Amino acid sequence: MIAARCSDVWMVYNSLFSENKLALRSINLEIEENQIYGLLGPNGAGKTTLISLMATLLTPARGEIEILGMDAKKHVKKIREKINITSGNPNLIWSLTPRENLRYYAFTYGINDKRIIDELIEFFELEEHQNVEFNRLSTGNKQKVTLARAFVNNPLLVFLDEPTKGLDPDIARRLRKKILDLQREKDITIVLTTHYMAEAEFLCDRIAFINDGEIVAEGDQNKLKNMLKMKDRIIIDAEGEIPLLDIDGIHYREKKGQRYTFFVDNSEQRLSDIVKEVSKFVKIKNIIVKEADLEDVFTELSK
Amino acid sequence: MSLPNFRSEFYRTIAFSYRNFIITRRNFFTIFETLFWPLISLLSVGLMGSYLDLTEELLAFILIGAVSLSIMQLAQLDVTYVLLFDIWSKSIKYTLVSPASFFNMVAGSWMVGVLRGFLAFMILAISGNLLFGLNLMQLPLYGLILFLMGLFINAMLIGMSTCILLLLFGYRAEVAAWTLTAIIMLLCGIYYPVTVLPPEVRVVSYIIPATHFLEFFRSFYGFHPSMDYSLILGYGLNVLYLIIGSFIYIQAMKRARKTGTVLQFSE
Repeated sequence: MIAARCSDVWMVYNSLFSENKLALRSINLEIEENQIYGLLGPNGAGKTTLISLMATLLTPARGEIEILGMDAKKHVKKIREKINITSGNPNLIWSLTPRENLRYYAFTYGINDKRIIDELIEFFELEEHQNVEFNRLSTGNKQKVTLARAFVNNPLLVFLDEPTKGLDPDIARRLRKKILDLQREKDITIVLTTHYMAEAEFLCDRIAFINDGEIVAEGDQNKLKNMLKMKDRIIIDAEGEIPLLDIDGIHYREKKGQRYTFFVDNSEQRLSDIVKEVSKFVKIKNIIVKEADLEDVFTELSK
Repeated sequence: MSLPNFRSEFYRTIAFSYRNFIITRRNFFTIFETLFWPLISLLSVGLMGSYLDLTEELLAFILIGAVSLSIMQLAQLDVTYVLLFDIWSKSIKYTLVSPASFFNMVAGSWMVGVLRGFLAFMILAISGNLLFGLNLMQLPLYGLILFLMGLFINAMLIGMSTCILLLLFGYRAEVAAWTLTAIIMLLCGIYYPVTVLPPEVRVVSYIIPATHFLEFFRSFYGFHPSMDYSLILGYGLNVLYLIIGSFIYIQAMKRARKTGTVLQFSE
């Protein structure tokens, strides 16, 4: 079953006081249930925007989002009962203790169950700190409480936005283990954004790579690793179907609607050959040549 | 509504009472809000009245205004805080991503505001009586309850307005939490009858519920309301604004979800 589905989702941040910003363009995504799905990409790529849309915090400018089989526009409340979200910035109500924070957030889900809170405090090893005001906790403990909060309603789908951001490696490693244990134990679906390739490798069953508001690659780790051989990209918008081309230097081809992306060893050398060959079959509307960029560096790191 | 649904809604409402109550209890400066400023206001206005050698009725007139302003300010702050606590701690997305509705937020926080407002009222009533001979219990109990409840609902509306402004304009609107009551104070005749206002301004006064509740309360102290049916008018306006406010909030929230204001608060 599909836990989350995005169909041609666009997001524009409109502002009265500054320029409108296109944050996501034509996102198509399917996330199967009971897996950990990673969203990777550089800062400002649109990862947080995408999970905020799926978590019903934002509404898309265009497109459809389906969460747990429900339309995200029509069934906001029902969806919210079954999902949760947490962010890498560990911010909860400052003057409340971890126990009080968890109790407050459980109440907001209509839940008054001391047992759930006790279990979460134990699972995240917060016993010692459960009665200390949140603003007096260490960053690591703040992050644990913030993460624990995401499970107060026994969600079926959890969005974790850079859950180990800013933590020292040891705490980050332990938190990753906790996330994995929780996912396995409760059979939940987790959508996770991260900058850390090690985190993605350790946790994620599948990964989508976002850059500049677009999903530029998607698949399991093996598929993405195979793409490492590619360096430059020649993007062609064409009217019609381009058949498979037998040209040296093309490692991989991707098709999204009428946009074809050719991953090549050297765009300067291959451009004329590709254009010449493609022109035989279709009318070319637009050509973009992109050299290796941060996105490729990110992928390179996951070797 | 089924029993489990009712129970869930109850807890979602209680969530905000629980949170506001703990924060209020834990914050030393809450004492200033609940006791210090209301008492300062009562004392300064009462002493000024004594200095000006006002009649008993006139002194009661302005002291009722001072008391009303204080309790309205207190009750509205709790509703305003329902979003501000989250905004200040950059955790608003966690509240907004929960199934708790605006009704849950407002009702839950308002209950703490009512509690604080009532506490302040009792302290001011006792202090006013001891210091200036003001008897705030002069009217029948039902009248007192209706007056206080009307004023508390008006306070809720002020809090809701601030929440809407926050959603629409972000941090820029934070100042509204303290200024809206001041504007209402000017218009609804806290220290003077609204009949002294220019006719154009008076029209605005009459569309503020607090104007009518004050006139109702003062009618027990020998002052004739400038309009008939003060209580009905006050409550009628309260209900009307609650409906309009809820509608505007829903629209403001839709807009905030479209424009991303919700995320900006959490960054």
